[in-house]
Amino acid sequence: MISLRYWPFVLKQVWRHRVRTLLTVAGVATAMYLFVAIQAMQRGVAEATEASAADTTLVVYREDRFCPFTSRLPEYYLPQIERIDGVTSAVPVRVVVNNCRASLDVVTFRGVPDERFADTIGRDANITSGTLEGWQRRSDAALLGETLAARRGLKVGDQFDAAGITAYVAGIITSDQPQDQNVAYVHLDYLQQQTDKKLGTVTQFNVKVDDPAKLEQVAAEIDALFDAAEQPTTTRSEKAFVAQVAGDMIELIGFTRYLGWGCLIAVLALVGNAIVLSVQDRIKEHAILQTLGYSGALIGRLIVTEAVVLGVLGGLVGAAGALATIRLTRVSFSVDGLSIPIDADLHLLATGLLIAVTLGVLAGLVPAIQAARRPIATCFRAV
Amino acid sequence: MALIECRQLTKTYRKGESTIKPLDRLDLDVEQGSFLALMGPSGSGKTTLLNLIAGIDHPTSGSLTIDGQNIAKLSRSKLAAWRSDNVGYVFQLYNLVPVLTAYENVELPMLLHPISRKERHERVATALSLVGLADRHDHYPRQLSGGQEQRVAIARAIVTDPAILVADEPTGDLDKPSALAVMDLLTRLNQELGKTLIMVTHDAQTAEYANRTLHLDKGRLADDSVQAAFSGETATTQGAAS
Ligand SMILES: Nc1ncnc2c1ncn2[C@@H]1O[C@H](COP(=O)(O)OP(=O)(O)O)[C@@H](O)[C@H]1O
Ligand SMILES: [Mg+2]
Repeated sequence: MISLRYWPFVLKQVWRHRVRTLLTVAGVATAMYLFVAIQAMQRGVAEATEASAADTTLVVYREDRFCPFTSRLPEYYLPQIERIDGVTSAVPVRVVVNNCRASLDVVTFRGVPDERFADTIGRDANITSGTLEGWQRRSDAALLGETLAARRGLKVGDQFDAAGITAYVAGIITSDQPQDQNVAYVHLDYLQQQTDKKLGTVTQFNVKVDDPAKLEQVAAEIDALFDAAEQPTTTRSEKAFVAQVAGDMIELIGFTRYLGWGCLIAVLALVGNAIVLSVQDRIKEHAILQTLGYSGALIGRLIVTEAVVLGVLGGLVGAAGALATIRLTRVSFSVDGLSIPIDADLHLLATGLLIAVTLGVLAGLVPAIQAARRPIATCFRAV
Repeated sequence: MALIECRQLTKTYRKGESTIKPLDRLDLDVEQGSFLALMGPSGSGKTTLLNLIAGIDHPTSGSLTIDGQNIAKLSRSKLAAWRSDNVGYVFQLYNLVPVLTAYENVELPMLLHPISRKERHERVATALSLVGLADRHDHYPRQLSGGQEQRVAIARAIVTDPAILVADEPTGDLDKPSALAVMDLLTRLNQELGKTLIMVTHDAQTAEYANRTLHLDKGRLADDSVQAAFSGETATTQGAAS
C-alpha cells in the first residue's frame, strides 16, 4: 500500500477535514450497521434451517398441523418409535408457547420426561448455573436457555410466569442450538397437568437417529407406522421442520438480502462521493505534491488509502454498533415457538471490515487514477 | 557546460482549431550558481519556461539538458523523482497545503526521502530557522501573513537541498516590507548556499537583485543583459561550487 511515513499525512487529511469525515463516517456507519444486522438475520435463518451433514434430529408431529400448539399426539407412540431401526432415542415433548405468532419475545415451554432431558438438548449444551439434580427435585422446576434468561433477567431461584404457567428457575443452559435459546425445559407431566389437566398427550416426539444418512428413511418409516392410526404423523428433520413452520418469515428475511446489497452500494456511493469531492477540491494540492516530487502513482495510493480509512472508520463504528446491539438485546425471531436467533460474532465484524476495506479501495480507485494522470501545469492554471 | 541548456525549446498548446506557441525555439544557457530574472509581458511564456525547467511540464520539441541530463526525455515517474532531487518551486500564491502546519508543509518533500524521523526533523527545523520562522512551526497557513507563508514555501522548496530554485513572481502578492524580506532571503540562498535561481518578475526593482535579466516576448528571448555589478560575484560563486 503506502509506506508508513505517509500515514500521518493521510490521517491528518482525515482528521482535519473533520466535517466531511464525520458526515461520511456517519453515513457509512449507518449503512454498515444495517448490513451487519441483515447478515446476522440471514445467518440466523441459515443456522436454524439449513441442513448440515451432522443433523441427526427428527421431529414427529401431527399431520397437517403447522403450529406446534395445535399438534396432539398420544404419548404411547413412544415405544413404537423407539423400536424402529436406526433410532437411538426418542423424547416425547409437550410444547407450550406464550405467543403462537411471529414475535420477538417468545417463551417456549418444552415438557420432557425427567430421565430423557439429556437427549433433547443440543450435543454441546451445558448447564452453566444451577444443576440437573436441582431441576429433577422440584416438580415446577425449569431449565432456561441462556438467551431467554438474559432477556428476562432471570437467575437460579427466581420464579417466572409465561403462558399462564408459573415455573421455578432451577438452572440455565448454554447451547449451540438455536432451538435451545428461548426455551424453558420443564417436566412433561407438570406441563401436561398445567395445560391439559390430564396426562398422555404430547405435541411432538424428538427423535435422534444414529446416522445422518438414515434421516429420510427413518422419517418415512415413522409416518408409515402411524399412517392408518387415528392420529397420523408427519416427520421431518428438525431444520426442515423449522423451515416449514417459519416459511413466511424466512422468505421475508431472505428478501432483506437485497437490502444488504443496497447498504453496500450506499457505502460505495458515500465514500466515493466524499473522495470525488475532496479530490476535486484538492486538484491544486495534488499538483503541489507532484511539483514537490510526488509521483502520480503515489498520489493515487494516498487517495485510495484515505478512502479506505473513511470506509474502515464507518465500517468499524457501524459493525461494532450492530454487534453490540445484537449481543446486548439478544433478539431472536420466533414463529410458533421456534426460534430464529439473530446471531452476530467477531467473524461477522471481521467480514464487515473486510468489505469496508474493499469498498474503500473501489470508491477511491477512479478519483485516484484521475488525480494521478492529471497534468501538473494545467492544474495550477485551472484554479 | 552550463547547468541548464535549452536548445530549440518549443512548447505548443492546441486550443480547438488554433495552436498557441508560448515558447518558440528558445535557446538559453543558465550557469550554475547564477541568479536569472525573467521579465516580459503577461502571456509571453515566462511561466511556461519555468515549468519546463522545473520538470512539471514536457516540451513539445527541442532539448532541455540539466546537469548533463536531457529531462525532456524522462518518463513521468522518472521526472517526479528528478524533481524531488533537483528543483524547488516557489509560487506567487505560496501554495501551502492549508490543513498542514508550517512544519508539516516543509516536511512534505522530505517524506519522499527514506531517512530517519530524527534526521527528517532536523532538516525541517533547519530549513524553518533558515527562513526565520522556527517559532511558527505549528502555525497553519491561515494563521500566517503572506510574507510568512512565502517564507514557509521557500523553506519547503529548499529543504531537500536542490541545486535549482525556480520562483514565479514570488513577491507579486506581497507588500513592500514582506517583498524585501523574501528577496533578501532568495539572494542569500543564491549567494551563500550557491543555489541556481531563476525568478519571474514583473517588477524592474525586484529584477535588480538578479545578476542577469532576460526579457521574453511571444515565446522568444528579447535581449540578455548581464548586470555588471553582480557578474564578478557570479564568477566567484561558480568557482566555489564547481
Ligand atoms: N495549458 C495551456 N493550455 C492552453 N494555453 C496555455 C496553457 N498554458 C499556457 N498557455 C498559454 O501560453 C501562453 C503563455 O503563458 P504563460 O507562460 O503563463 O505566460 P506568462 O507567465 O509569461 O504570463 C499564454 O497565452 C497562455 O494562455
Ligand atoms: Mg505567469
